[in-house]
Amino acid sequence: MGGGSISQEGVTYEPWYKWGVLVLYLEMLGAVGVCIYSLYMAFTGTGGFPGKGH
Amino acid sequence: MKTHKVEQLIIAAVAFFWCFLMWFATAAFAPSIVVEFSLTKAQFGILASSALWAAPILRPVAGYLADRIGAPKSFAIVLFFTGIMSIVSAYAESYAAIFVTRALVAIAGIAFVIGIQHVAQWFEEEEMGAAEGLYAGTGNAGAGMGMLILPRIYGTDYSSAFLHLGVVALVIGVWVLVRGVSAKSAEQADMAKSTATLRDTAFVWTRFAAIALMFAYAMSFGLEIGMNAWLSGYYKMGFEDAIRQLGFSSIRDVQIAAGTFGAVQSFNASLFRPFSGYMSDLWQRKNWMPFPIISKSLQYSPRIHWLMFALLAITITMIALTIAGLSGNVVISVLILALFGITVSFGTGGTFAIVPLMFKKRPGTATGFIGGVSCLGGVIYPLVYGGVENIHMGYAYVAVFFFIPFMLFFAWAMHWDIHPEDHGIGKKEGWLGK
Repeated sequence: MGGGSISQEGVTYEPWYKWGVLVLYLEMLGAVGVCIYSLYMAFTGTGGFPGKGH
Repeated sequence: MKTHKVEQLIIAAVAFFWCFLMWFATAAFAPSIVVEFSLTKAQFGILASSALWAAPILRPVAGYLADRIGAPKSFAIVLFFTGIMSIVSAYAESYAAIFVTRALVAIAGIAFVIGIQHVAQWFEEEEMGAAEGLYAGTGNAGAGMGMLILPRIYGTDYSSAFLHLGVVALVIGVWVLVRGVSAKSAEQADMAKSTATLRDTAFVWTRFAAIALMFAYAMSFGLEIGMNAWLSGYYKMGFEDAIRQLGFSSIRDVQIAAGTFGAVQSFNASLFRPFSGYMSDLWQRKNWMPFPIISKSLQYSPRIHWLMFALLAITITMIALTIAGLSGNVVISVLILALFGITVSFGTGGTFAIVPLMFKKRPGTATGFIGGVSCLGGVIYPLVYGGVENIHMGYAYVAVFFFIPFMLFFAWAMHWDIHPEDHGIGKKEGWLGK
């Protein structure tokens, strides 16, 4: 958890916070990925994990 | 024992994730169970709904327990009990045995309030939104992951899945006991313990602010779990012709398409939840407070305004779902459903960015009430959807007759500028005897 603390608009955050926010973004990307995968699978009738049709 | 709050956050998130994975594992294998035991539609409906029975009753108990004995021990009790039940369910040979053991495994759904209490005991006010969002979002994803991954790994062999899930739950339970620490200081843990009394519980349950937050959570999380149970059937019944025109001809194909549409809501509602916590932090930093009536003087007022924005967004997308359904266009419906899932996550994340701040002395009790009683929404809304003549109209009816009154009450309950959490039915001194 290296690095110094972060200061944003008068609030000082501990070093973990920036990594926490990064994880938030990665989770959102994951959600978008699942949406795209689900829609692709639903609309094409293919895409069964891992990459085979049903 | 030397530890770090991030380690405690990871412990809580992993334990909660696994509990949710076990909770919805039954639903993930429902088609196999239905075929193997030749269940009728009514029997399947009871099996599906049984997953929600424990939450409204036992979540408040879990919150009380977390305050009294600490989150690590509470997590361990839930993981050990549900893990053993999951292992037992793997060897069940009759439907009655499967039903009873899986209903007991569904108790894992109460783990949410334990972790919320744990995170509140470790993180500072200004980072609470992101911390609670990370915990709850990651944990909730366990439900969607189960539905997406488990059938693909285990096929129809649900017994092996239940066995493996149970064994891993026991391992996680031991890890939580060894590495989990109740609070960042003994004083913090003692404060939570000292307020976990029946008097305090009755006090919290009668506070207008707690009731308002419970309504907010019923509009978000209660809605989310209700939709999880409802959406597959909705798309099958409401859009069957449109789905068949997309090329899904057999019943199995229609079910796959309908289930996949439903999963979009589940994943978005879970994985955008941490973003809502982050947005709550952002509104707090920027001091955004656009709504009338709601207090602008509390230290965390911007977080309340963010939640009000989320509730409005949920209500609007509910009405949009009805409009999309009436149009008969499945593509528009699914796209609005994706947006709907995100607005639901705004509500769930926004609520629990406030609860630990407003009920700082009683985090477990307040979380148990708000996170528990709100689950009744998951039982009630599908009854409304299924009870109206036009299957698409249910969302609009719920929005108008449930959500608008909930929002009005929420705005009123949050109008006090000083300690809104103290106002309620009966005076504080009367309940607490002080």
